[in-house]
Amino acid sequence: MNVQYARRRSGSLTPELALWAERIEKVARGHKLDFFAIDFELLDAKDVNGIAAYGGFPVRYPSWRFGMEFERLEKGYEYGLSKIYELVINNDPVVAYLVKSNSLLEQKLVMAHVCGHADFFAHNCWFQATDRHMLDTMGQHSTAVRRMIDRQGLERVERFLDQALSIDNLLDPYLPLREHLAKTKPTSLGTPPTYDILGFLCERAPLDDWQREILRIVRAEAYYFQPQRMTKIMNEGWASFWHSRILTGGVLDASEIVDFADCHSGATARAPGRINPYKLGIELFRYAEELGQDVFALRRRHNDASLIDELVDETFVEREMLFLYGKNPRSARTEVTERDWRKVKDRLLGDLAWGGLPQIELVAVDTEGRGELVLRHHHDGRDLQLQNARETLLRLAAIWKGPIELSTREEGEGRVLVCDGKDVEVREVPGAPPASSGDSSGEH
Amino acid sequence: MFRIEVDRARFREIVRGRIRQDLRKYLSNSELIARQGERAVSVPVPQIELPHFRFGENQKSGVGQGPGEKGDALGDQEGEAGGEGAAGDREGQHILEVEVEIEELAEMLGKELELPNIQPRGKRDVSTEGGRYNGVRRSGPDSLRHMRRTFKAALLRTISAGEWDPNDPRVVPNREDQRYRARKSSPVPDSSAVILHMMDVSGSMGREQKEIVRIEAFWIDTWLRSQYKNLEVVYIVHDAVAKVVDQEAFFHLRESGGTKISSAYELALKLIQEQYRPEDWNIYPFHYSDGDNWSARDTERCISLLKDELLPRVNQFCYGQVKSAYGSGQFKKDLDEALGSDERLVTSSVADRGDIAGAIRQFLGKGR
Repeated sequence: MNVQYARRRSGSLTPELALWAERIEKVARGHKLDFFAIDFELLDAKDVNGIAAYGGFPVRYPSWRFGMEFERLEKGYEYGLSKIYELVINNDPVVAYLVKSNSLLEQKLVMAHVCGHADFFAHNCWFQATDRHMLDTMGQHSTAVRRMIDRQGLERVERFLDQALSIDNLLDPYLPLREHLAKTKPTSLGTPPTYDILGFLCERAPLDDWQREILRIVRAEAYYFQPQRMTKIMNEGWASFWHSRILTGGVLDASEIVDFADCHSGATARAPGRINPYKLGIELFRYAEELGQDVFALRRRHNDASLIDELVDETFVEREMLFLYGKNPRSARTEVTERDWRKVKDRLLGDLAWGGLPQIELVAVDTEGRGELVLRHHHDGRDLQLQNARETLLRLAAIWKGPIELSTREEGEGRVLVCDGKDVEVREVPGAPPASSGDSSGEH
Repeated sequence: MFRIEVDRARFREIVRGRIRQDLRKYLSNSELIARQGERAVSVPVPQIELPHFRFGENQKSGVGQGPGEKGDALGDQEGEAGGEGAAGDREGQHILEVEVEIEELAEMLGKELELPNIQPRGKRDVSTEGGRYNGVRRSGPDSLRHMRRTFKAALLRTISAGEWDPNDPRVVPNREDQRYRARKSSPVPDSSAVILHMMDVSGSMGREQKEIVRIEAFWIDTWLRSQYKNLEVVYIVHDAVAKVVDQEAFFHLRESGGTKISSAYELALKLIQEQYRPEDWNIYPFHYSDGDNWSARDTERCISLLKDELLPRVNQFCYGQVKSAYGSGQFKKDLDEALGSDERLVTSSVADRGDIAGAIRQFLGKGR
């Protein structure tokens, strides 16, 4: 399948950059990358920070959280701690922002990288159900929220929006793809058990119209961003795999190769205390290619968890020098604790399971006639941060306007957090704690 | 980029509101002191992030990549590696630090404690040369000649002399008509002030007492800094003898031995006479002790020093008595008895951190 695309003008590019964009896209398509048209916009760093604060969109609904993110990015830039090279959004056409102050080489690298992302957005299965006109949709959301602010007042809208955003990860990461494949419209969002708690609340919570509208907006945007979280390693890996191939395959001249290598290795450096998605991702695709696998099929079928499940073996873990680390209680320092490939792989899968979110299910509603929501955290070895859980429950109860119960575990002991709307009480549960249901890695 | 600026303004407003709400808390702990910069204080604002269900940090563990055998320590280099960031991949979990200008902090303090602005002392309105060429005068260098004013003067003279001929509108400026741009001096209120912080560091002043002094001093400095353009701070410590020290030593020095408060007052007087003459400076001495003095005779000496030498020279003299386990608190009583009617003297007593706000208000509430 090839995507339809029309040649677009990228208005703000200099003629030189426009020429390069055209050439790089052509080389990319020659490599069988296939993507919607790409709009490149050339902006200065401050404007890119502003757009990055909005999650890549020039227009979002008003929220202080974006202002906070902007402040953080600006400070990071000012102090030279961080700098955004590239920003690309999943839309048709794909929109990518280039930072004016970057060198020509960096711009070429970013353009090639963006081609990789654009191909990934177009073909990875998890993106099939995403809104390809999100740029417009975000604009509509913005207009809708602004209208509500005019009618309801800033403080009311802001308070509810903050409550809704607090629960924006109570969703089912696999739901949009399931619906897309089954070609069904959501039948009834209102029936537990479900992981799509946001959807349930949109249907069933006793809300004013404007509040319901806000909750729908928050839900739509959360589902839009979720595939990017689930494919971060693959997406960056795929883009890096291709920018490297495109640039070293004739786009760069000999004098640029050393600078390219420097720039590329900076982005794909190993970091001891965490996984660099660029590095792990590119190595996964290189490994797959060595094994003779069809990388295009892999990039279509998988998410991070399932790709790692498919590819990671003893050779890969050794070659990539992956390890587990943890705190040594005796020396109080963080140490390498394990190099056994199976354990490393298990841990990787565990961290990535359920889109990296705590798996929280709505199991029942109103079983005791008090209108209560019964939630269950499927514990996978990682405890919830309880203080945050309390605060979040209070906000959830404010939306539901009824009591909430959440069962989870803390340090191996069963716990139930009971929220009556004003306070959260933590009860210990004797006997069997709720166990994980286990289906964690991605299904497809 | 207008929208994001609106969001940023809203964010800052919320943060300011949060700080204002917590100001009482900051008034009784030393959290802000270490964060003081030249012009701004960086205030930690906890809990501004929205809560979410998220994993705790109960295991500081994970998957890493790199060389090293089992048991090797991990390098502490968890900083940002790559630079590229795609949309929607951010995790925000950090206590936010917000820079608040000292002016702004002072404003919050002023509102919270209802502090009046300081009225400069009458004779303080020393004229200072302003730097702008917005005046006109009759003599000056040609390079500063004001053509329009010169011709205007010439025109006036011509008309008043009856020599004006509309049919031959020639105006010839003569020497008297010349006008020149001039620097205009405008009176600028003199805005220099000096704070003399004096502290008793004898054996009875413990760690907690010094902490209280430290917090008081921080807020007093903050307020006065907002009131005067040029503020100097001098730190004096004393037990039986007094000396000038730097800020660090002021709060951490621990001496032992007796207490002769007059030694500090004498040193302050000497500084005022030699460096901070009252004609040029607004002077604010602050003295903190636990109220024990060596002898009644020394207290008498202090009172006469205050009455005859210090009080006439300063804007206001503040004595803050910090309660300690050993102090008798006698000194404040003596001062109040002898000089209580003099409004240039303000005394306060602080039993614990909760009283700090009240003491600051007493000190700064008169607007002197």
